[in-house]
Amino acid sequence: MTDQKSTAAVPAGGYGSDAAIARLKARRRAETRLKAYGICAIALAFAALGALAWSVVSKTATALTEHYVVLDFEIPQEDVDPDGTGDVAVIGKANFAGITKDVLKARFPSATGRKERRQLYDIVSNGTAYELRALVLDDPAALRSPLNFAFVASDVADLYLKGVYGSFVEQQRPPASALEVTELETNTWQVTADAPVFRAALGDLSGLLLERAERLRRQALLQENGRRVFEERLQAAMDEAERAEYRKEADARAARRDQLTEEADALVRTSSEGGAISLDRSMPTLVVRVGDDWYKLAEVQDNQATITALSAADALPGELSDADWTFLVNSVPESARKISDLQAVWLEDLKSAGSVEKRYNWRFFTSGDSREPELAGILGAAVGSFWTMLVTFVLAFPIGVLAAVYLEEFAPRNRWTDLIEVNINNLAAVPSIVFGLLGLSVFLGFFGIPRSAPLAGGITLALMTLPTIIIASRAAIRAVPPSIRDAALGIGASKLQTSFHHVLPLALPGILTGTIIGMAQALGETAPLIMIGMVAFIVDTPGGITDSATVLPVQVFRWSDLPERAFEARTALAICVLLAFLVAMNALAVFLRKRFERRW
Amino acid sequence: MNNLTLKDPELEYRDNKISARGVNVSYGETLAIKNVDVDIPDKTVTAFIGPSGCGKSTFLRCFNRMNDTIDICRVSGDIRLEDQNIYDRQIDPVQLRARVGMVFQKPNPFPKSVYDNVAYGPRIHGLVNNKAELDDVVEACLKRAALWREVKDRLHEPGTGLSGGQQQRLCIARAVATAPEVLLMDEPCSALDPIATAQVEELIDELRLNYAVVIVTHSMQQAARVSQRTAFFHLGSLVEHGHTTKIFTNPDDQRTQDYITGRFG
Repeated sequence: MTDQKSTAAVPAGGYGSDAAIARLKARRRAETRLKAYGICAIALAFAALGALAWSVVSKTATALTEHYVVLDFEIPQEDVDPDGTGDVAVIGKANFAGITKDVLKARFPSATGRKERRQLYDIVSNGTAYELRALVLDDPAALRSPLNFAFVASDVADLYLKGVYGSFVEQQRPPASALEVTELETNTWQVTADAPVFRAALGDLSGLLLERAERLRRQALLQENGRRVFEERLQAAMDEAERAEYRKEADARAARRDQLTEEADALVRTSSEGGAISLDRSMPTLVVRVGDDWYKLAEVQDNQATITALSAADALPGELSDADWTFLVNSVPESARKISDLQAVWLEDLKSAGSVEKRYNWRFFTSGDSREPELAGILGAAVGSFWTMLVTFVLAFPIGVLAAVYLEEFAPRNRWTDLIEVNINNLAAVPSIVFGLLGLSVFLGFFGIPRSAPLAGGITLALMTLPTIIIASRAAIRAVPPSIRDAALGIGASKLQTSFHHVLPLALPGILTGTIIGMAQALGETAPLIMIGMVAFIVDTPGGITDSATVLPVQVFRWSDLPERAFEARTALAICVLLAFLVAMNALAVFLRKRFERRW
Repeated sequence: MNNLTLKDPELEYRDNKISARGVNVSYGETLAIKNVDVDIPDKTVTAFIGPSGCGKSTFLRCFNRMNDTIDICRVSGDIRLEDQNIYDRQIDPVQLRARVGMVFQKPNPFPKSVYDNVAYGPRIHGLVNNKAELDDVVEACLKRAALWREVKDRLHEPGTGLSGGQQQRLCIARAVATAPEVLLMDEPCSALDPIATAQVEELIDELRLNYAVVIVTHSMQQAARVSQRTAFFHLGSLVEHGHTTKIFTNPDDQRTQDYITGRFG
């Protein structure tokens, strides 16, 4: 009988046969393939994660520092405290914004027109006057002494100083190149040199011209197509009025075509023959710097240019020796940046005078939201997140854990508990926005909890987190070996004592892990909080659970929507802060698991 | 048959600690114990033997109502601990389990210190008034479990760090710490090596002086070595019950004869 069995179990042809070996090989191949798929999947996941992390982290660079414009001045006492009372109430009412403007005007007296003045005021932040006011209120003695005050640069000035909008780069030019200056009209001069001093910049410009010419040609082609269509309609048209109209349209398009073609030809000619190129806002900015005075090139060829004063205090002499002037180019055209040429050269002036200071952007972590990117910080959102998470934890953790203990240790197994279990599992999969709707209608509508308050947000998120905590806690409780329960019950511990003295402490690492994962999920949640109004613009740091607040992910969401470019980096930095919190929470979960995990 | 063993005159000569009459235990539809009558004499080791699945462990767990923790388990009949029906409404199973201690098949110390393992029972039952008394109780129990010499320097190290035999003796110390009258042992040596088994068996022999001990075992030799009484179970019924020497040398029933000689089981 045993013989029969063994012959039956041997595969057809025996273990050594070709068929058996082929089968074995096929099995090995399948295994290798599976492993390869697995490795590919993991590599893909890591690549995606790396790309994500890099794209976020690399964008934060410009938000890590901020620039200050440091100026020496004295606050005229008559503007602030004319009677010399030293009274805080009087000083507090003074026009510090006006004082700031006066300081800037004094620094750049050449800015005289309304437009220029406004540009000048825009290089420092709107909020900087409040800081000056705070300084004076803190120490009224500052009124009577010379001040060295650091004005926060505005967001565009800050970005320019960080090189986001290009920078003025000095160009190579032939040695010993003096400029001969002829005044054409007020504030406009022609400068001529013996050597091709401007050639360095021309290469890029002519490339730009050819590109433009190409674009014009394409437009001309479109006009030609339009003309042809009307030509055809003209052929097919029946009555005279219609025909006249089509002819008019066709002629108009032909004229436009010819005009465009001509413009394109002119551009090509200029670029190839080295004629004078006239510069506009969509071309790189070319400037000549003479000391602290800046002149912008309006028209340029190899050795000659027409220049206009950009920011000039002194009159231009008849000749500029080689050492007197420098030729600089900012390859980012004015139309492509938020900062004007004038503001840019002012900042260059300040930079060379040593009045620009770069500091770490601690403000980002110590201030609340603001409309001005340079003043905006995440402290308000972080504190809002803290209060919200506190409410969530205080509600979700005890309720979740006790529910899990009841369901695992005390509840009888019947249809009702099965129903409850199914429903808890389903709740974990409910879209979070639905919880937001619930929060809106029940907590805000019915119970009248204040809008935008961490209390409402926390309760809503607690509801969302509960199923996660209950499921994780039940799994952790179930994983406690029954022998521990037997041991406790066997020496006369009650069910309650068994659960709380023995089962819960052993399940706690798992419960905490699940709770932290649930809390991390809640920390990153946006949708339900938007439903209950935590998306408002709130500058103050919330002081409690009923103050209006916003939270980190909502802050990220709001900033990502704002047009100011400086918010881009701040959004990225806020994401990093959020991620840092999440990573910290997950690390804590891992630590708790490793530290308190017990094996049997 | 069961009635026959009941009338065994030798069973009556000592006080009976536990008397069970007409006990039936069912798991849902399945009847695991069928109408069993047994008396457990005081200061005696009673061994329950029988093939796997014959219901001896289930029956043992009736004595401290551990079967209550299994939802589908139903117990009927009359089990008396010193003339008190332990399935009476007035009996609190928690109190009962302090009086009827239990040691399980696998050593299951709490993942706490040796000291806390033993001290847990006295603490929750309020058997001690202060730390000094508790220290005394712990020491006495560990001595009773013949473990004191080995663990007296590591009382505050985790109980799970002891060897298997030490863990099982720790569980015995923990069981005797609540001052029980009866000790139930469910295959206490099945997870132990022969040396640890010998130590535990020696301990059981000493414990007999103070407690009624009921031990479930698969090992016929162990039953013969440690017990004075033996009950043989087969398919949920009590087949034969009496003096160990008699069961092993001159059983009344053919099935007992077959089992102890190794024909089945």
